[in-house]
Amino acid sequence: MIDQLIAIIASDDPDVRNRSLDGFCRQSTARKLLDACAALDRFRRTSENLYQRVRALFFLSTIYRYHLPEKLPVGSHALIPHQGYLYLLERRFDEAIECFLAVQAERPSDTIASALAAAYHALGFQTLADQVRRSVRSVRGNQWMFRMGHPADHPLRIRQSLLARAGDAAPFPILCERTPVRMDLSHSGWSDIFFLGMDFPEGARVLNVSIDLGVRGRDPHPRPPIEVYLRVIDQPVLRLVSVDLKSKADLTSLGEVFDFAKDYLGLLKAAVIASGLVPPGLEGSEESLVDLLARLVGPGLGLEIVSKVNDIPKGSRLAVSTNLLAAIITACMRATGQIPSLEGGLCESDRRMVAARAILGEWLAGSGGGWQDSGGIWPGIKMIEGRPAGPDDPEFGISRGRLLPDHRVYRHDEVTPQTRQALCDSFVLVHGGMAQNVGPILEMVTEKYLVRSEPEWQGRQEAIALMRSIEAALLEGSIERVAAATTRNFFGPIQTIIPWATNHYTETLIHRTRERFGPAFWGFLMLGGMSGGGMGFIFDPRRKVEAQDYLQELMRATKRELQHALPFAMEPVVYDFAINDGGTVAALLAGDEAFMPPAYYAMTAPNWLRSDTRELTPAQRSEITRFASACRTHPRLRGSLDMLFAGLFPAQVHEELAQGDLATLLRENGFDPELHEQIRSDLRAGRIGLAQNRLPASTAIEDVRPDDVVDAQAGGAKGDLRRLGEQALARGEVAVLTLAAGAGSRWTQGAGVVKALHPFWRFHGRYRNFIEVHLAKSRRAAETCGTPLPHIITTSYLTHEPIERFLRQGEGGYPGPLYLSRGRSVGLRMVPMPRDLRFAWEEMPQQLLDVQAQKVRESLHAALIAWAEKAGGASDYTDNLPLQCLHPVGHWFEVPNLLRNGTLARLLADRPQLKYLMLHNIDTLGADVDPAILGLHVAGGTCLSFEVIGRRIEDRGGGLARVDGRARLLESLAMPHEEDEFKLTYYNSMTTWISIDRLLDLFGLSQADLADEPAVTAAIRRFSLRMPTYITLKDVKKRWGHGQEDVYPVAQFEKLWGDMTALPEVSCQFLVVPRLRGQQLKEQAQLDSWLRDGSAEYVDRLCAWG
Amino acid sequence: MKIRKAVITAAGPNQYRLPLQRFVDLDGTERTALRIIVDEAAEAGVEEIAVVVQPGQSATYTEAAGDRARMLQFIEQPQPRGYGEALFRAAPFVGDQPFLHLVSDHLYISRQARRCAAQLVEAAQAEHCSVSAVQATRESMLRYYGAVGGRRVPGRNDLYKIEHVLEKPTPTEAEQRLVVPGLRAGHYLCFFGIHVLSPAVMEILGRSVAAAEEAGWPEPVMLSPALEILAQRERYLALELDGVRFNIGVKYGMLHAQLALALAGKDREETLARLVELLAGLGPGSA
Repeated sequence: MIDQLIAIIASDDPDVRNRSLDGFCRQSTARKLLDACAALDRFRRTSENLYQRVRALFFLSTIYRYHLPEKLPVGSHALIPHQGYLYLLERRFDEAIECFLAVQAERPSDTIASALAAAYHALGFQTLADQVRRSVRSVRGNQWMFRMGHPADHPLRIRQSLLARAGDAAPFPILCERTPVRMDLSHSGWSDIFFLGMDFPEGARVLNVSIDLGVRGRDPHPRPPIEVYLRVIDQPVLRLVSVDLKSKADLTSLGEVFDFAKDYLGLLKAAVIASGLVPPGLEGSEESLVDLLARLVGPGLGLEIVSKVNDIPKGSRLAVSTNLLAAIITACMRATGQIPSLEGGLCESDRRMVAARAILGEWLAGSGGGWQDSGGIWPGIKMIEGRPAGPDDPEFGISRGRLLPDHRVYRHDEVTPQTRQALCDSFVLVHGGMAQNVGPILEMVTEKYLVRSEPEWQGRQEAIALMRSIEAALLEGSIERVAAATTRNFFGPIQTIIPWATNHYTETLIHRTRERFGPAFWGFLMLGGMSGGGMGFIFDPRRKVEAQDYLQELMRATKRELQHALPFAMEPVVYDFAINDGGTVAALLAGDEAFMPPAYYAMTAPNWLRSDTRELTPAQRSEITRFASACRTHPRLRGSLDMLFAGLFPAQVHEELAQGDLATLLRENGFDPELHEQIRSDLRAGRIGLAQNRLPASTAIEDVRPDDVVDAQAGGAKGDLRRLGEQALARGEVAVLTLAAGAGSRWTQGAGVVKALHPFWRFHGRYRNFIEVHLAKSRRAAETCGTPLPHIITTSYLTHEPIERFLRQGEGGYPGPLYLSRGRSVGLRMVPMPRDLRFAWEEMPQQLLDVQAQKVRESLHAALIAWAEKAGGASDYTDNLPLQCLHPVGHWFEVPNLLRNGTLARLLADRPQLKYLMLHNIDTLGADVDPAILGLHVAGGTCLSFEVIGRRIEDRGGGLARVDGRARLLESLAMPHEEDEFKLTYYNSMTTWISIDRLLDLFGLSQADLADEPAVTAAIRRFSLRMPTYITLKDVKKRWGHGQEDVYPVAQFEKLWGDMTALPEVSCQFLVVPRLRGQQLKEQAQLDSWLRDGSAEYVDRLCAWG
Repeated sequence: MKIRKAVITAAGPNQYRLPLQRFVDLDGTERTALRIIVDEAAEAGVEEIAVVVQPGQSATYTEAAGDRARMLQFIEQPQPRGYGEALFRAAPFVGDQPFLHLVSDHLYISRQARRCAAQLVEAAQAEHCSVSAVQATRESMLRYYGAVGGRRVPGRNDLYKIEHVLEKPTPTEAEQRLVVPGLRAGHYLCFFGIHVLSPAVMEILGRSVAAAEEAGWPEPVMLSPALEILAQRERYLALELDGVRFNIGVKYGMLHAQLALALAGKDREETLARLVELLAGLGPGSA
């Protein structure tokens, strides 16, 4: 078998090479799998072929992640060596693997398997990324830029025609590049990912159309959405301007050019570097940008580069960013003679060079465009295909395919003008408004393809076949057949390979459109990596206009329905589009035509007007005069005056209204200004903060002993305990408490949507959200025990209304008693202390990123620290939507809230026999009222029984520890030393069994006291003082412009439920439960492995769907 | 194959004064650049030399050539229509014979006893084809020269078969078309300013000139495109000469050329001593 695995990797025979790993692993024992891993590890160390190494690494990762754990004995837990973890963070993956293998040699365990899986996975991607980096640098035409280390060596000069002007007051000519974007009719199942094209060039095919775009109802007609303007200026600076992002910078040092995340101009900077204006070899040279400009342009002169994407929203899946990057690179290469033609279109060799530079630019900026994304610079409709590497290619002997694909543009006798028109007449292009991160999907696809997972590999073959159908239909001129094939592609292979490519929103739109239009709705097209943003709906051309109107309204209405459940970045829009048969085209605007676009003047003219005339350069003074006389008469400057006035007198109304809302929200949600001021003063004085969250360094942290925990894994709980639990359930002594007050920051990176309502997966034929899953488990438990099971959902200012509305609409469909417990406490987020940001980013171990991405992140961190310093540490964070400025104050409060808001009193009144609560987090999907575990709690007689699971490497955040000799749960932010967490075998799942009366005792209350609100409030306040308060940093998204999102770190305080175990008077026990029961879904990127490792199936088995 | 004729182009706008500049030659004698270049050609065995000049410059150039003037005949280029057009004006002069071509803004210092042009002529006569002298040049200097791409002639370290010729390429173009296996990374074979060309060049230039004339002279006619065609048409080699070229038309070009002549010639000791004095006297803070 072992030889067979290596044969799969190394064979040239496609039948052997394309066999799947899963088939081999299914029949193997743990011993055999470990032997196979040892052989694969030896193979990957000795193989000289990069892709064989990478495939071996992904095989290893898959075996350790999905196959070995289920074959190891139950309860095979171990400790992860901290040094190994540090190696992982530092990207020293080989050393991490050695470290983990040494532990595994003593005893294989689920824990170490998870660590090895992570290390092999990361090493696989690192190996691929290294190869792409090498390929990008070694593409001919790119190499010289990495050799150039001094401005005196700069071999390029600006063309004389861009320097030619009539006199000092005359304008320099402006080079204007206009570029379409690209729309994929199929990417053959994400085959445009670099790694995949280089592994399997035969399967890498993308059918790509260059299109002009307009936003329906806003723009009079479609036009190339990307415009780049380049001109010489009479100042020795590199001026970069993005009129869409309203961002402008005068760069005067080389360091600023390489500082990508400092402002919103990272893409322009990457283009300037990739074009060779400021070659990448100059990074860190500490030479002068002014000297460089003097050589490149002339003494005392500089360059201005202006980008504009006609306000096309971000996330359009039309590769706006990559094509903008390519357009800027094109303009810069034209200006420096690297492209022979200054005006007009490009020839094929120029386009290939630009594409190679665009890939370099993507790599520099740490973004990850596909290999075909710069297709907009090509004209019309084209097939982009991977090519095997030949002897003259830098990839030869390293990877099977080349980094750069070939482009085959269809002639008009192949795809006729009638077909092109029919395509435009049938397609409705939209931006659904959702903002999503495609990155994890691209990683999933890469891994699945390289491992050749059976269904996914089969899906890929189908996608390739469908690509042929789409191409054939296009050549035959049948758009209806194109639509049928793209629809089959979306519902077939795309979702087989990546189920997460679709979502509830998209499916709802398709379903409703199909209902409305019947056979006149020809099909659906997913654009780019996933749906929800840019999408295509294809109709009988006779109904296209109606369909455009309908979709506009449908998307708005559906967004309103789902906006609390799914992350939307903007209002949906419908586009008008036309096929662009010219590709990128440039024109030189000279003399009376030498004007920038109107939006440029709206942005810059107010500053000119505010400046002293003497501070302006002669060219700027002249431009003001020229603009003043031309803005009324020149057709290109039409509308400039209105825009200029809007810029001079910006509306403030919305902002003021929003702050009014914030005050009301704070008042209505139990904001405690006194406490807030106290926290602010403590933060500023350094009494609290990230470093102060920690217990004293002298605290002894040890792992728990076997007798500190109760084994509740398979076979752990005895039959009589199960009966005890069943009896309690049958008597109606139990209720479920689902914590749903949190913001779920990690789920959507602080988008402020209600995670509990996210319909994340299709159970029983339709999308279900977290609440539906938890209620379905309670439904099943109630059916099994024959007694209705009360279910309480805690909520907060952020989640209450949406959850209440959802349940009111009967969506949960829960037959038993259902209560909502609304939170009564809220905090106001603060701008973090720069000290805390530095602590988090510079003193705590951080996961290093790949070289270039790490540079971008460091630049971003520096920018955010500067923001915190400027805004003032611990000042109120109010520069966002009001709901994004508030924060829940930690899940500890959610239990006392039950007492304070009367929910527990009502519950007890309705059901006096109630004795126990099972509390669980919204993302602990496997938690159910298992009678055996309930029996353990009842028999244990403790106030609280906490469930813990064996740790895996991804389980960070705390665990079960002996702290100064006493077993308790300990948050990682409270651990005296970062490595303490690695001494702990068990991770806290947060699921807690609570004995109600004993809990009330702790608060000094009885059931009768619950009616006395002041007494309850006073008791909670007293108790809360004993609970530690933590300062945490959370990500919060700020949305602006057209689909733009910024993520800011904000400071907030929290009290955490697990700290109940720290109080000596609280009797606790700790139950070790199976992993599937206790694991949490914190990030959407976890969903795929959650589905693959059997967790989804496990959860489904716990549910009874209504 | 005997090379009897040479063509020197000196009609470039803003360049006509360069050949008139005076240098102290290797033997310590003061000569004009033109005279040094003519000597270069004469010592390669050339018997007749045509100099392409701007209208009205013949007399000045005759004087600058000194006692070599009798070898020269002058051809005027009435309009500045490019280097290629200037060379083409000498077509009747060269007839159907191969010829030596030198530019007038470069001076050469050989590292061996034979002068640079002589080395080149010898190679062309041995190989029976056009040969251009080249020098491996850093990519940062590409914008001053025509450059060639090709492969080494088997068994020779200094001779290359030319496959492509580009005029003043950007490094981006050069990397894509002119990489020569065996050269240091970032170095390209750039023209030295001396060529032995077959008469086919004149025919190719003739077509280019005719096309340009028909189009109304949209752009100057250059030599490099004609050499690119020549490379596709017949065997065309590049020789890495054992010598150094100095472009006297660039910033400090004349200074560098003079220093090189002085340091390679009989006044080396004196020049070195002066340089040391100069360096000592102009140290930081001495100004």
